[in-house]
Amino acid sequence: MLVGIPLEQSNSTIKPKECATEMSEHLVAVADARCKRSFSRVFNYFAPRLRSYALKQMGNEALAMELVQDTMSNVWQKAHLFNAEKGSPSTWIFTIARNIRFDMLRKLQNRKEDVCSDDLWPVLCEQTADLNEAPLDEQVTLEQIGYLFEELPVKQKAVIEAIYIDGKSQQEVANELSIPLGTVKSRTRLALQRLKGMLNDND
Amino acid sequence: MIKFHPSSQQLKEFVEGSLTPAVSLLVSAHCDMCEQCQLRVESETEELAAELVSEIEESFDESAQFGDMLSQITQSPSSIEVDGSSSSYASNLGERTVSIELDGRSFKLPRTLHRYVDKTGNWSSLVGKLWQAPVDLGNQGVANFIFMGSGGSVPEHTHRGTEYTLVIDGEFSDGLSDYDTGDFIFMDGNKTHTPRSDTKEGCLVFSIVDQPLHFTSGLARLLNPFSHLFFR
Repeated sequence: MLVGIPLEQSNSTIKPKECATEMSEHLVAVADARCKRSFSRVFNYFAPRLRSYALKQMGNEALAMELVQDTMSNVWQKAHLFNAEKGSPSTWIFTIARNIRFDMLRKLQNRKEDVCSDDLWPVLCEQTADLNEAPLDEQVTLEQIGYLFEELPVKQKAVIEAIYIDGKSQQEVANELSIPLGTVKSRTRLALQRLKGMLNDND
Repeated sequence: MIKFHPSSQQLKEFVEGSLTPAVSLLVSAHCDMCEQCQLRVESETEELAAELVSEIEESFDESAQFGDMLSQITQSPSSIEVDGSSSSYASNLGERTVSIELDGRSFKLPRTLHRYVDKTGNWSSLVGKLWQAPVDLGNQGVANFIFMGSGGSVPEHTHRGTEYTLVIDGEFSDGLSDYDTGDFIFMDGNKTHTPRSDTKEGCLVFSIVDQPLHFTSGLARLLNPFSHLFFR
């Protein structure tokens, strides 16, 4: 091993603890005084790291830069939500990036507003989503099924009962009722079709 | 007491944000109720954040990449200036319903599920003392609040896919184990069970299945061709 060669990377010479303290102070200065100099220190430290993380996660330069920009914008705009007692600056910024990535991926997959990162990790809980969606009123109940079942023609009902309730095989049912297997099959199919049809009418 | 927790792998993927949204919802709601898992999530988050800090590329021209971005960002106002105050969330929270009602009883929900009260449909009666209210998760499908009244039970079934259940309030048993408020339960095709609640108060659970249940006995077999219609 070579001795006496100093480490080149300036960033890596900062100990994590000192760095966390320094970054915390900068974030407080951004929150209290909108200090651009402090923000640029935070930016210069985190932006390249976020880009690296984002590239790995998104696998695409443009999306990665979008993630960096959104994350750092939130840091600038919501620095007052940072609480050093709750965690380090890197933890806070990581959670913001993770949340933005989560929501970006959902948008990319064309999912509408379903589960959003704020539900899971309310780190920037100022952003509240709109809550207005109509409830699902129409639901089929077991009782309805039972009711519809009663409406089936007697022959179909007997077959369905034997197969689905008594757990008999179609062949057993055919033997018991002394009818061809094909008839059991067609009655089953017709009965299920009918039940489905009745369920659809009910909607 | 909570005995059933998400696995370490599930917690890790939850923190990474790589778990599916629907399952994340259940893990998150469990963490609301489980201090132990909250702590595990916190330390997992710190670890991942530490990885973030250590990530940096060797050859990287900062000024070229980020020149405009920094000045663009600092031109925007603070969110306090935009909203007038940071209290908008607090006031929203005040108006938000944090519990669901059934039969004159009110059940307090974990924080994660508060937003879904408005997306919850009406209660409908299943068999016997079983009640169900669907929760619309958009493209993530449907989750359900299921209430088992005292002595109520879900017919014996197995799963073609997976079933995640979080006990919101009460206790129930399923022939495999006994579960209590806060327990996080994972079931798949290897297990057949018959959930039932025998306590006086009954039991409310929040449940997500990715495939219809497959009923294995009795009358309930009649349900199989239609189980996708209710136990979704």
